[in-house]
Amino acid sequence: MSDKTTATKNKIDDSKYSMETHVIYGKHVTDKWDYSHHVTAPISSSTTFRLDSVERGAQGFQQFAQTEKFGDEAPIFIYDRLGEPNKDMLEENLAYIEKGEMAVTFASGMGAISAVLGVLTKSGDEIITHSTLYGCTISLFNNWYPRYNIPVHPIDLTDPNNFFKVVNDRTRVVYLESPANPNLDILNLTEIKKIVDDINKTRVESDHIKIVVDNTFATPFCQRPIELGADFVVHSLTKGIGGFGTDMGGVVVGPKKFRDMILLYRKDFGAVLNTKSAWAILTYGLPTLPLRQKQQIKSAMRIAEFLEAHPKIYFVNYPGLSSYKYHELAKKQMIDFNGNFAPGSMIYFTIKGDTAAERKSIGAKFMDYVADHAYTMTLAVSLGHTRTLIEHPASMTHSVVPPDQLEERGIDAGGVRIAIGLENTDDILMDLDEALKQL
Amino acid sequence: MGFQTDAVHAGQKPEPLSGAITIPIYQTSTYHQEELGKHKGYEYGRTHNPTREAMEKNIATLEKGKYGIAYSSGLSSVQALMGLLKQGDHVVISNNVYGGTYRQLELNMTNYGLSFSWVDTSDLKNIEDAIKENTKMVFIETPTNPMLNLTDIKGTVEIAKKNNLISVVDNTFMSPYFQNPLILGADVVLHSTTKYINGHCDVVGGILITNNEKIHERLRYLQNAIGAVPSPFDCWLTLRSTKTLALRMKQHNENAIKIAEYLESQSYAERVIYPGLKSHPQHELAKKQMTGFGGMISVDFGTFEKAKKVLNRVKIFALAESLGGVESLICHPASMTHAAVPKEEREKIGITDSLVRFSVGIEDAEDLIADIELALK
Repeated sequence: MSDKTTATKNKIDDSKYSMETHVIYGKHVTDKWDYSHHVTAPISSSTTFRLDSVERGAQGFQQFAQTEKFGDEAPIFIYDRLGEPNKDMLEENLAYIEKGEMAVTFASGMGAISAVLGVLTKSGDEIITHSTLYGCTISLFNNWYPRYNIPVHPIDLTDPNNFFKVVNDRTRVVYLESPANPNLDILNLTEIKKIVDDINKTRVESDHIKIVVDNTFATPFCQRPIELGADFVVHSLTKGIGGFGTDMGGVVVGPKKFRDMILLYRKDFGAVLNTKSAWAILTYGLPTLPLRQKQQIKSAMRIAEFLEAHPKIYFVNYPGLSSYKYHELAKKQMIDFNGNFAPGSMIYFTIKGDTAAERKSIGAKFMDYVADHAYTMTLAVSLGHTRTLIEHPASMTHSVVPPDQLEERGIDAGGVRIAIGLENTDDILMDLDEALKQL
Repeated sequence: MGFQTDAVHAGQKPEPLSGAITIPIYQTSTYHQEELGKHKGYEYGRTHNPTREAMEKNIATLEKGKYGIAYSSGLSSVQALMGLLKQGDHVVISNNVYGGTYRQLELNMTNYGLSFSWVDTSDLKNIEDAIKENTKMVFIETPTNPMLNLTDIKGTVEIAKKNNLISVVDNTFMSPYFQNPLILGADVVLHSTTKYINGHCDVVGGILITNNEKIHERLRYLQNAIGAVPSPFDCWLTLRSTKTLALRMKQHNENAIKIAEYLESQSYAERVIYPGLKSHPQHELAKKQMTGFGGMISVDFGTFEKAKKVLNRVKIFALAESLGGVESLICHPASMTHAAVPKEEREKIGITDSLVRFSVGIEDAEDLIADIELALK
């Protein structure tokens, strides 16, 4: 980095620029790699790196995940699983956009979730979660955590005081989604933070309860949980941040002092983000996040209003609707880079029916019609895509929840989840209207 | 369908084998044939590729055309276009096209017996005057690079029809979002997809779009015969890009209007050229044939010293060739994009040493204005 242009560019004070500009440039010139002359970073697809001498190789291994001792500037790249330029650059940008001190990427959202919880808990510790969570996160807790002897307590945290019903000396983590998947429950993060802070005051630091928030539904454009009191944020980068549905990925964002442990976990468990996927998210996912979100929110608002007014609809959950029970809370927590209310691109609704079974069958009929006839809606899991995706949580993303437990998990048997894409809003409305007419 | 819906869906039915929502990268050079003469319509990678087909169909739909024929660069599309002509044919062409087009045609294609009249097509009379017995094609770029001169597409098409000429419009600067020459009657639209269509500075590519069956047949033949085909991965990346084309163009346009207005309100610049400014001599024509004004601005700073100062001191705008990416770029046409054009020709059309071209990205307009302001101080 001795080049003259690089030197001048490094003088830029990037703190004065807005987030929309930042998602394109990141740190502009990074010491992770001299990419300063490529306007677009090369895909650094290399499994291993030349080490020059035994001494430098030894130094690299010694320094890995030892930032406390050696600092984290200009790493010596050794092997892709430990770290390499594309991922490291993406991590810098993700930490910045989520207002965290550091970020570590993973092969998928689940890779990120299991890593942060793997670092924060050990046998005998306990975890408190909100009752409504993504199905595979529930699966992680149900299938694997009993083996580790880590009890997990799902409770309704829309009332933060319920926390006191299950908290004990062994509680180490409170794990949340807000908005929650799929029903869009909004949790009062500042209130939860206050409760946790009060408890932490009475504990030694190593026993502190950490707040971990899955911010996938909102994306950092709509909400930065760390600003609201979370210690860690996790994302499935596959969704809104990746944005095009081309690549899988996950990330943990949080305090710098945990970076070494999380890197070590990634190295030893191996859920490492593919370099080509890191490149895609860095080059075209993040830079277009604000544009895509703005468009999706605009569409989601109109679609939610349309559904709410429709006589065949039982209820619509969308944080942007003033009728939504968490609307006021959402207005405080879901704020975009420029200070505007940003209620996100996800809608959850149910079609009218007297019983849960009836709602389920009419919902299935509706989605099957969409699958066959709608041009602008695709029956598929995932979200934050260029295309509008529609799915049935009870039988797809949340199929891990047995039918008799759906209610306590906040899921309606007939609930429909719709993830708005980039299509012309009128076209989506036309397809929705047509499908509802068939019922 | 609305533009954005087509952008996300056209040409992209889920892949039948797995239902993959995203069209796969069909990274294959050849295809299995079930028996002699029996196959699924795919024989060889240069001739057919499903990823390429999806991309061609998608962009053709956005350009309101039936056929899209993709090439490995904007200039290889120009080469294919010349394959519609034969030795002895003559072309009337804008004197202010992209420098690479000039280099290919005037310095190379002339060796094969084609001849070109480089005229200022912003005045339709110049086109009519240049038509000769052997003229077969009229080729315009509007707005031009980098002077942003406009040519009346409808008027050009009328002249072409009257004289039985193929009319070609290079629509790279506007993208299909802001201008659709086929609707105005043009025979062929050309894009360097490297620019706005791809938009992320990570692919080099070109495409020709037409509604004319005969032209399509010939161009399709040339795509295979000449062989300058885009790679499956590049097609896939371009297909990813068109999904956000409308969103990006809106933002490019919004930012460029703000920056052009800012520059015009200041005394630094001698002349600010942007079709969206009332001061642009063809502002009315711009409003008529375009639905936006795009993200390109050219500014004459009066002296080379001043231009150099801007070029070297901006921090967000990267000094680089190319345009149309999400990141703002700045360039010096006289020594960079248009260095192939002789100095005398260059100055005649206004590409002075003090001219600077801005490709305005999708960043926050306030940041971009602050960047220019700081550089000029």
